[in-house]
Amino acid sequence: MNAMFEPFVDVVPSFFGTLAQGPLTLTIFLHALIVLPMIWIYKQEKARLEQEG
Amino acid sequence: MANSYLTSESKRLATWYFTFAAIIFGAQLLFGLVAATQYVMPSFLFEVVDFSVARMIHINALIVWMVFAMFGSVYWLLPDETGIETVGIGLGKLLFWAFAAAIVVVVLVYLFIQVGPADETSIWFIHEGREYIEAPRWADFAIVVVVLGFISNLYLTGMKGNRSGIVTVLMADMIAFAGIYLAGMFFTDNVSVDQFWWWWVIHLWVEATWEVFVGSLAAYGLITMIGAHRKVVEMWLWIEVAMLFGSGILGMGHHYFWIGTPEYWWEIGALFSALEPLPLVAMFIHVLYDWGKMQGEEDAKGKEHSVITNKPAFTWFILNAFGNFLGAGIWGFFHTLPQVNLYTHGTQFTSAHGHLAFFGAYATILIGMMYLGVQGKNGIKVMNHTKSSIWATCMIFGGVLGMTMALTVAGYADFIISRAQWGATWEGYFAGQGGIWYAQGMGWRLIMGVITFTGFLFLVKDLLSTGKAANHVR
Amino acid sequence: MANKSVWRDNRFWQRSAGWVTGVAAVLLMWLTFDTIPQITMGTDADLEKGVTKRVPGPTVINYKITYEMDKKRHHEIPVIGGANAEGTSSFQEKEKFFGRDDWTEEEAAEMLHLGKLGSQTKNCMNCHTILGNGAYYAPDLTKAWLDPAWGPEGSMQAMTGKDTKEEAMAEFLQFPSQYPTHARMMPNLGITAEEAKGLVTFLKHMSSIDTNGFPRNFGKIQGAVHGK
Repeated sequence: MNAMFEPFVDVVPSFFGTLAQGPLTLTIFLHALIVLPMIWIYKQEKARLEQEG
Repeated sequence: MANSYLTSESKRLATWYFTFAAIIFGAQLLFGLVAATQYVMPSFLFEVVDFSVARMIHINALIVWMVFAMFGSVYWLLPDETGIETVGIGLGKLLFWAFAAAIVVVVLVYLFIQVGPADETSIWFIHEGREYIEAPRWADFAIVVVVLGFISNLYLTGMKGNRSGIVTVLMADMIAFAGIYLAGMFFTDNVSVDQFWWWWVIHLWVEATWEVFVGSLAAYGLITMIGAHRKVVEMWLWIEVAMLFGSGILGMGHHYFWIGTPEYWWEIGALFSALEPLPLVAMFIHVLYDWGKMQGEEDAKGKEHSVITNKPAFTWFILNAFGNFLGAGIWGFFHTLPQVNLYTHGTQFTSAHGHLAFFGAYATILIGMMYLGVQGKNGIKVMNHTKSSIWATCMIFGGVLGMTMALTVAGYADFIISRAQWGATWEGYFAGQGGIWYAQGMGWRLIMGVITFTGFLFLVKDLLSTGKAANHVR
Repeated sequence: MANKSVWRDNRFWQRSAGWVTGVAAVLLMWLTFDTIPQITMGTDADLEKGVTKRVPGPTVINYKITYEMDKKRHHEIPVIGGANAEGTSSFQEKEKFFGRDDWTEEEAAEMLHLGKLGSQTKNCMNCHTILGNGAYYAPDLTKAWLDPAWGPEGSMQAMTGKDTKEEAMAEFLQFPSQYPTHARMMPNLGITAEEAKGLVTFLKHMSSIDTNGFPRNFGKIQGAVHGK
């Protein structure tokens, strides 16, 4: 089980350092935070267009 | 401004900005040639105009002429986009002279005083010694005042007139552009903190706000030069803004790999900046697609003429779409991943990228805007190429591409020998400089630099004379 | 209107652009608040207590600094005052700097301040690179303090005829064109003795900054020297 997590080696422990569990974990998390809520914007705009139509 | 067909004061002011920008562009190339010569012949102007001085003027002139041309571009397009005369033209003219005078003083001090003692006075009155934003502190404040005036003109005009999508993007973009400059206006003893904020200015300019600015100019150009549909163009513009800021803002991480900042920036910098080329690919496709579409519509009607109303400007816009993608996108991606950047950081590889990116992304489209200025000033309906404009385009674009190739080859020698094989020491550095690829690269770079400069002379000749040429449709 | 798609709706893209830009900007600010405390300069007390800082305090100049491979992080890190059992800084071993290893926090900070000012007013970074940033006309200065060329057996120290690294560097900085090492020479920048001392302080301090292993293998490669 231990091998499933990176040992933490940053000089200073921090929230972002903890999220960096491998070469992509932190960056995928941040990308998701930026991109995924667009689904919500999409749904709102779809509802608006249908109402207008 | 005699014999001008321009009725808009805003557009007249724009031509002033373009003119001054072109002069500073010349200075940039000239001092670039001095620096390039010193690589090949180190004794050239040694202790007269040293490399550090020539290079400082080279990169500062670059920033300044582009900012001038950017301001000019905004003054040029505002009346078309908003449908009204720009508010505060009197202030705009005053600021133009103040800005131009400040720049002349700054450059003369760079050239004739060069260095000062290690104290605050030198920082305030000579230069700050921070790459790209060397301007002394007094000039920083002058620049802030000038930019605030410019922004207020843009905002007042945008709020009074019709606020198109392009104007909305410009308003949001230029306020960020100005605000970010403040991050570079302080002194600290901590070099890591210094570079952390320094990148806020440099990166968020050239990889975020300037790119969005270029997106807006491209959108304006497509509407005015080939009659592209505004709705389509503005939709593309919003997609580009999302992609440019989405990747570019956190793409900042690629500057935080090695300056003392925490390890997590490796990850952030790697993927966000790896995605930075995406919007540039999109812009390239978008420009070519729109051109094909508009021309196709005409062809389908059985008409044989071109949809382009300004051939030289449109050529530069196309070269912008291509050069941005190639120089900023591909050459940037080459060395943006931390595992590569560990070795390429701070080598001629960076310089190869810098040359093609600044030129491809910004110089091209701003030259295009200068041609739009010449067209408007001379009341030309369809502007065609002249022999000089073709020579200028080929020599400048070919020259910069050649310099990039040469620097890339030199960069390989630089990072393979100095960094990978010799571990980056003093001795290793000079071993790299002695590499045969390095010597060849620097030689070719100088030759290509001369070609670029010759192209610039053709460009100046053309900008001054093409307005009177007979082969345009009036 | 059946064929109205959200994907070609300007309002959707405008809102998305606003959202993406806003979140990216907020994340950058959040990251900045996390990073700045981590790169804020440490203090003399940190060094005495053996607290590792990414950017140590100015009195780091009283210590011996080396650049060693870290077993856990798999890259080199600055080791201050000799290594402990784990191979990281033990903050024990001192080293004389301009004849003293007891520079007070005020004295060291003042020298570093002068050096940092000098690094800017003398325009170092328009020939050299500092932390890898700048121009590429002269060697990178990030770990210049640790360069074997300035060490006891190095060519640069021998050339200046000085007995210590710091004195050799200060001498070179004041009279660079007297000590040409390459056809490409450093110009005379009017650096005074005091400024040179400050600049060497700046360089020694910079070598103690944790740069995540940049530059790689600095000064370590012996075998490949004739490998070109």
